[in-house]
Amino acid sequence: MTHRSLRWIALAAAAAAGPWMAHAAAQGPRMTPERLQALAAKPTPRLTGGRPDLNGTWDRLGGIEFVRPQRLADGSICILACGPAGGGPPGPAPGAAPSFPTYKPEFLAKVKDLSDRQTQTDTSLRCQPIGVPRIGPPGKIVQNAREVVFLYDDINGSFFRIIPTDGRPHRKGLPASYLGDAIGRWEKDTLVVETVNFNDETWLTDNGAFHTTGLKVIERFRRVGDTIEYQAIAEDPAVLAEPWTGRPRTLWLTDQELEESPRCEDRDMSLVTDGSHHDNPR
Amino acid sequence: MRDRFRSALFAVTTLLTALLTAAAVSAHHSVAGQFDTSKSLTLTGVISRVEWINPHIYLHMDVKDQRGDVTTWTLASLPTAMLRRAGLSRESIQGQPGELITVAANPARDETRNLAWITKMTYADGRAIFLTGQ
Repeated sequence: MTHRSLRWIALAAAAAAGPWMAHAAAQGPRMTPERLQALAAKPTPRLTGGRPDLNGTWDRLGGIEFVRPQRLADGSICILACGPAGGGPPGPAPGAAPSFPTYKPEFLAKVKDLSDRQTQTDTSLRCQPIGVPRIGPPGKIVQNAREVVFLYDDINGSFFRIIPTDGRPHRKGLPASYLGDAIGRWEKDTLVVETVNFNDETWLTDNGAFHTTGLKVIERFRRVGDTIEYQAIAEDPAVLAEPWTGRPRTLWLTDQELEESPRCEDRDMSLVTDGSHHDNPR
Repeated sequence: MRDRFRSALFAVTTLLTALLTAAAVSAHHSVAGQFDTSKSLTLTGVISRVEWINPHIYLHMDVKDQRGDVTTWTLASLPTAMLRRAGLSRESIQGQPGELITVAANPARDETRNLAWITKMTYADGRAIFLTGQ
């Protein structure tokens, strides 16, 4: 069989399968712990000057690790609650209890109240910016000798953070913001990003995990082969009994470029007729 | 004494873990506050418009009754990122122009609207998208 006839067969098959297959092909192979291990075993690229190269688009599953779509034998697709799926992406199992900050006793009632009224109190459900650290690791990193830029294609919008790494101090006089003011430094091969000057409109995680404007977030990025080990620690001594360490994440290099986030439009919460919890894992 | 303390600690930890896990699992059924998951309806029609927006997409389906009158239903579904992860796009979920698609859905608790949450879509060629479980 010639290459030309093979190509026609492939084209005919693609046409018969319609647009579903084209988009499915764009997904690439699914991540498995074994593949992740192989990516981490690759050499760690470095920039001129020796710093690890963090540049790239990084798959971090956007906080939806519990979504493990399956393609069925007849071409059908199952997206949620599909039963056991071999080779699912790494991450917590569906329904796994997330870690939660430890609050000082006098603030537990406030956390419970915010959580109980979550559909009214969680601003992330109203399409507002999600804040740090709840937004998680960036989807793309642009790095040069003076700064790194984080880009996010979040469900609530497209966001960016500019992080000086050349010794510049935190900026003064800026209004408090959702993503705060960040500076970065290198501790050996780990990029450490310290962010302050947050407003208090966001939560650290789901379920009423509020914070104050005194929040400081420390994020660590360590490139290992074609992966990045990421972890964030939130310090808010006014309300937290101890610093809260979010669950560690492993990002991997992807050739799927970020896209502008589709418009976020708050029209769901008006439909809630009772106090049901609207889960928003990140 | 130490063994009794350990047993008590184990019991409390187990109970806490069970409660937290149950809370996390039940939290995934958040759609229940807006849509009546105990009721199911089936609609067949043409998807005339797709709102590819977050946090949930909306499909507008023109459903024709036996007299030929058309009712447009608004059908909510998952966030765009979840659909993209499953290989779906605004175009592919709409189907071919004029294609009759059957959806299984949970009606809105506010029954004044022609609004529902899609659980399954079946296309003319028989393939299906199970949006919230098989």
